[in-house]
Amino acid sequence: MHYKLVASVALVGALAPAASAHHSFAVFFDETRTVEIEGVVTAYRFTNPHGTIAVDVTNAAGEIEHWRVETTAPVVLRRRGWDRNSLRAGQQVRITGWPARDGKPYLRLQGAFDENGRPVGQAFAEGED
Amino acid sequence: MRRPLLVLALLASPAVAQDHPDLSGFWSPDFGPVERPEDLMDALPDGVGMVEDTGVAEFPRGEFGELVLTPEALEHAEQWTADDEMTLQRVCLPPSIVYAIQGPFPWEVYQTPELIVFKYEYFDQTRLVFMDGRDHPGEDYPHSKMGFSTGHWEGEDLVVETTHIAASTITNNGLDHTDQIVMRERYRLVDDGARLVATQWFSDPAVIENDGARFISWSKREGEHVYPYECDPSFALEYQSIGEE
Repeated sequence: MHYKLVASVALVGALAPAASAHHSFAVFFDETRTVEIEGVVTAYRFTNPHGTIAVDVTNAAGEIEHWRVETTAPVVLRRRGWDRNSLRAGQQVRITGWPARDGKPYLRLQGAFDENGRPVGQAFAEGED
Repeated sequence: MRRPLLVLALLASPAVAQDHPDLSGFWSPDFGPVERPEDLMDALPDGVGMVEDTGVAEFPRGEFGELVLTPEALEHAEQWTADDEMTLQRVCLPPSIVYAIQGPFPWEVYQTPELIVFKYEYFDQTRLVFMDGRDHPGEDYPHSKMGFSTGHWEGEDLVVETTHIAASTITNNGLDHTDQIVMRERYRLVDDGARLVATQWFSDPAVIENDGARFISWSKREGEHVYPYECDPSFALEYQSIGEE
């Protein structure tokens, strides 16, 4: 199983997300839990109001699950060292984020790490924009 | 000979010519705890309901802070569906300044004695704050997401009154305001101009039985500028495809 819940209220309290752009973070995502997925990037969009990362994750049964990761607005990501070339299709990636409240394979980006474990841009933490 | 030169130099100084704080610059929102000037908060009308959704926090469904919703507004909020916002038609509609003012995006201020311009990164929006003493226009004047704003100085505070705001969201979770909402902001420089703080007050009896208010804080960042937003509505298609592949 290549994705796992890493829920921790205390952890999340220290890594609260920046407020969302056009739609409410709190309406769509559960700020009390975080999820970690590992897989292969199949698409990466760097457009407002939100960027998206499509990731194929192989679950414990060997089946492919198609996940979508929503980023904050790219105008904000640019100030965190991201650009439209930060990720590429075919790249192995590990991503942490806040899961969708409705149970869909959808999460809000907290941090991303490349195949060598190096962070992509900067993670989101309290006090940062 | 030195005295006339000194007088000319003083007249040429923006601080003297304008005699008001200069709010010009690039302002980035503060998300951590920020001290609230007591007299700034005291300047809010009595009985306002505070809306503490600024910066990091946003309200989940069904939470509206201290706002008291009218029965009609509450029914509307209860029937509101978040997924309805994630459509090609709606996902790139900018919210009004009532909600947008507290968002996690920077903005720029350009200030002259007669006109102050607020240039927002969020949805590429711009506000004109007329400082020349003109009245607000009549009801026939177009309503827009940024509204029509006039401003004046009260001591060191810039006070902005805004009307003609097009109907939009207040808390981005189903509570919407009408186009009759009125808004007043009070801006003040603090920490020797390193930060800008403000209160936002708004009144719309059709949807809230008490008036609402927020406190917001930004820090100055020299040499930075807002980026173009250029919203791409195909994001909605990405959202709609989740779980269907």
